[in-house]
Amino acid sequence: MTDSALTRPGERERLTVKLGEIDWLLAALLAAITGVGVLMLYSIAGGTWGPWADRHAALFFFCFLAMIALGVTDLRIWFAVAYPVYAVGLVLLLAAAVIGHTRLGAQRWLDLGPIHLQPSEIIKIGLVLALARFYHSLPGRYAGLSWWLLIPAALILVPAAIVARQPDLGTAILIAGTGAVMMILAGLSLRLVAVGLVGLAAAAPLAAMFVLKGYQRARLLTFLHPEADRSGAGYHIIQSKIALGSGGLMGKGFGLGSQAQLNFLPEKSTDFIFASLAEEFGFVGCVSVLLLYAAVIVIGLRIASVAHSHFGRLAASGVIVTFTLCVLINGAMVMGLAPVVGVPMPLLSFGGTVMMTMMAGFALVQAVRVHRYSEITSGHGALL
Amino acid sequence: MFEPHFHFDDVNERQTAFHRRAFLLGGATGVGLLALAGRLGQLQLLEAGKYKVLSEHNEFEFRLTPPPRGLILDRSGVVLASNRPAFRLLLATDENVDVDQVLTELSQLVPMDDARRARLAADIANAPRRAPVAVVEDMTWEEFSRVNVRAPELPGVTADMGEVRVYPYGGAFTHVVGYVAKVNASDITKTGPNADPILLNPGFRIGRQGVEKFFDLPLRGKPGAKKVEVDVKGRVVREDPAGDVPSTPGAPIRLTLDADIQNRAIEVFGNDSGAAVMLDCRTGDVLCLASAPSFDANRFVKGLTGPEYKALSEYDRKPLFNKALTANYPPGSTFKTMVALAALEAGVNPDRTYVCNKAWFWGGRVWHCDKAHGVQDMHNAIKSSCDIFFYQTALSVGPDRIAATARKFGLGGTFDIPIPGQKPGIIPDSAYKRRFFPRDPVWHAGETPSMGIGQGYVSVNALQLAVMVARLANGSKAINPRLVHAIGDEIQPPGTAGGDLPFQRAHLEFVREAMASVANDPGGTAYKEMQLGLGPIKIAGKTGTAQTHSYAGGRGEHGAQGAWVLRDHAWFICFAPYDDPRYAMSVLVEHGGFGADAAAPKAAELMRVALLKDKDVRDRITASPQAPGLTPGAPAAT
Repeated sequence: MTDSALTRPGERERLTVKLGEIDWLLAALLAAITGVGVLMLYSIAGGTWGPWADRHAALFFFCFLAMIALGVTDLRIWFAVAYPVYAVGLVLLLAAAVIGHTRLGAQRWLDLGPIHLQPSEIIKIGLVLALARFYHSLPGRYAGLSWWLLIPAALILVPAAIVARQPDLGTAILIAGTGAVMMILAGLSLRLVAVGLVGLAAAAPLAAMFVLKGYQRARLLTFLHPEADRSGAGYHIIQSKIALGSGGLMGKGFGLGSQAQLNFLPEKSTDFIFASLAEEFGFVGCVSVLLLYAAVIVIGLRIASVAHSHFGRLAASGVIVTFTLCVLINGAMVMGLAPVVGVPMPLLSFGGTVMMTMMAGFALVQAVRVHRYSEITSGHGALL
Repeated sequence: MFEPHFHFDDVNERQTAFHRRAFLLGGATGVGLLALAGRLGQLQLLEAGKYKVLSEHNEFEFRLTPPPRGLILDRSGVVLASNRPAFRLLLATDENVDVDQVLTELSQLVPMDDARRARLAADIANAPRRAPVAVVEDMTWEEFSRVNVRAPELPGVTADMGEVRVYPYGGAFTHVVGYVAKVNASDITKTGPNADPILLNPGFRIGRQGVEKFFDLPLRGKPGAKKVEVDVKGRVVREDPAGDVPSTPGAPIRLTLDADIQNRAIEVFGNDSGAAVMLDCRTGDVLCLASAPSFDANRFVKGLTGPEYKALSEYDRKPLFNKALTANYPPGSTFKTMVALAALEAGVNPDRTYVCNKAWFWGGRVWHCDKAHGVQDMHNAIKSSCDIFFYQTALSVGPDRIAATARKFGLGGTFDIPIPGQKPGIIPDSAYKRRFFPRDPVWHAGETPSMGIGQGYVSVNALQLAVMVARLANGSKAINPRLVHAIGDEIQPPGTAGGDLPFQRAHLEFVREAMASVANDPGGTAYKEMQLGLGPIKIAGKTGTAQTHSYAGGRGEHGAQGAWVLRDHAWFICFAPYDDPRYAMSVLVEHGGFGADAAAPKAAELMRVALLKDKDVRDRITASPQAPGLTPGAPAAT
């Protein structure tokens, strides 16, 4: 197919053309990362498919199909549902705060019959969409510094505050971080960013003293002095570091990581799966996986950059920002560089809702790529 | 929102700005990833040697040591639940252990039947890899030493000493104290994918009922850790006592119960089914909260066998059921105290009389009384428990006022008592009919007479009636029951914070006088049973006999005979001493027949125990000139 064929009116609306426009390299990279995750889950379950590896693979399969289906969905539909998705997410978040099901001491789940809903996951996508839509309609000259920016600030802070109260510090940081970076990408005055960073640095110790819950403070203190509490909270960090370090250059080999196999590692299937990876595949394996992540990020930012609509640019980059923050925070946490806050390694860690959110996000990225030439003309959405 | 702006410059400017910022973001991400890679290099390349050594021994492992579970005590420190040391046998499996063979060898050393063996095999198969399973608990010393000698031939088997929960009084306190039992799968999943590791500790027991369940966390304490050196297979190579983290023992829970009264309650019930609740009507302290028949909590700690559980759950006197507060019954004539008080408050003259001819025709049907009481005023109608008086009094007052009065006395409510499953019961009024009978949302006058004698929709539990009597006896404060005296060092607030009763003192006094005549006038329904023989110490009470079914179908005239499940429920409520109220109680005998015959003697006996334990009361008895010698049951001088 030549370029000229694609310029014929309506040609880009054909499904086969759209499927060809999906970024298959990106899709393959996601599958590769998930494949590594399945391998690790198989290994830490003692060489069995249950209880994690099989479900992880099956879920990815369905999410992958969903990503393709959503990826060819017209970007204007994504645009039209941006605020509704955000609103639904916010309402569910409030509902969970009021009537939610307490699990692990946090009110994160909403019980809808057989489905356990985690509204904080919906709001992650909703926030990216809502911010992208807002900035799409905001004239560029206001994006630097104006009163209009109170609106995106509220869009970010309200869900972040609710999630932080649940309490789910990790997700709250992700939401606030993603929102902040998106505002910067949209053109927030760098002077304001600098002021904000200084303020944050000054406020952090105060927040640690007064805002954090007891166990959250304990995690911070433990992070600073893991050796002080070897059997309690410091245990996670120490054992994780032992797993990493003992992996060495080439690792102990597949299925031979004693740290994970012998249950020294906590939450080995979820937050600390990277440590198992490091133990069994060593420095080489870790850096390879980090390179896979880097490739996803580069491709994602490139897709954002070539999009014609401002909505597309911001939406795609917002998803990539969430993804990047997850990788960096989880990596730092596992390596003892950051406190344990409960952020999973995307696609590697076991966890259904997180995978669904991530793949929904990549569906949005694919949609931006497939429809990179489309202009969204009306401030109120052209379709609906 | 904004009008769409599509000046080319603006669009272009936004795109350029985005590209600049996106490039910055990419750079920052790159720096972040490089930092991670650098840290990996530091740990995995530079310090790899150090961590390799650590992982091979994994040097130290911390094995959780469960703390001793907190004691449960009565008001004076008598132990109701404690722990005793016990020898047990743990089996940790890995791929080198042939479970079947080990169990075969063990069965020659310790008693183990096939059912138990099958259950153990299932437990072991379900346990996480290498997590030890308690194979035998509570071994005798002989069994323990026999296994210990053979231990080297039994791979994966270790013997150690743990603790077992023990309830020294067996069944008397089960419905309050509850019991602990094995941790099951739902206990673990309930707290999420990363359960409290102490739950997985072999032989750990979790509070399953009553106080043990409600205060499970404070009773549990904080586990300590034993520092051990292990090899790569997780086998203990050496212990390191210097590195042990001591455990914090569970906090003791001191209840307000009195062990003597509670134990006596279970004794006086014998094979009868029912409940007895006694409160200190000055403070609200629950001195007795018994449900009979009961069952031995120690059996549950061990784990009940199928037939044992079946026998308990199928026995028609329902030992597993807490009849003091999870079961509701019509209060019968004990409710007349509330009707009388509501009438007085509504301005009804207590001297107004009705004539009782054993039957009263109203609303097209006959309303019965158990005998012809003749002319009755309110005092006499309480004393002789005349139904016909109260049918008509209830009609003149109406259901809403009666219900409002009853609720102020705690009927139809639940209390802050750490026993799950309190049932509020029903105090009906016109709002109740509107809400729960959508097809017939109107209160009919014909429903009021039944309510006047505590029948019809009215249903309460023994705890509520005890609170009602305590408030009547107290006369001024709406006291609330308090079951827990202290959690650890934390003294719990007494039950006197409930505020004042919004009733005229004279009206309360009238009802109390009538209750005194029930027990002390020769014409009172419980005169015979209420002669305590304690000199000047007098009791005041009210009998109640609650129908369990309508007699209209010809199934027996009065339900004191016949099939057990069809007999009437017997109630007695009382407080003593009458002139200086200290103790208030309610006694329910399920299907016991007449309140005076079945419930009153039990109440009198328990009241006697409580009164004789009270030093002030004893002083009064001995100081009295006509002290009759403290022979229980001897007729008192009147």
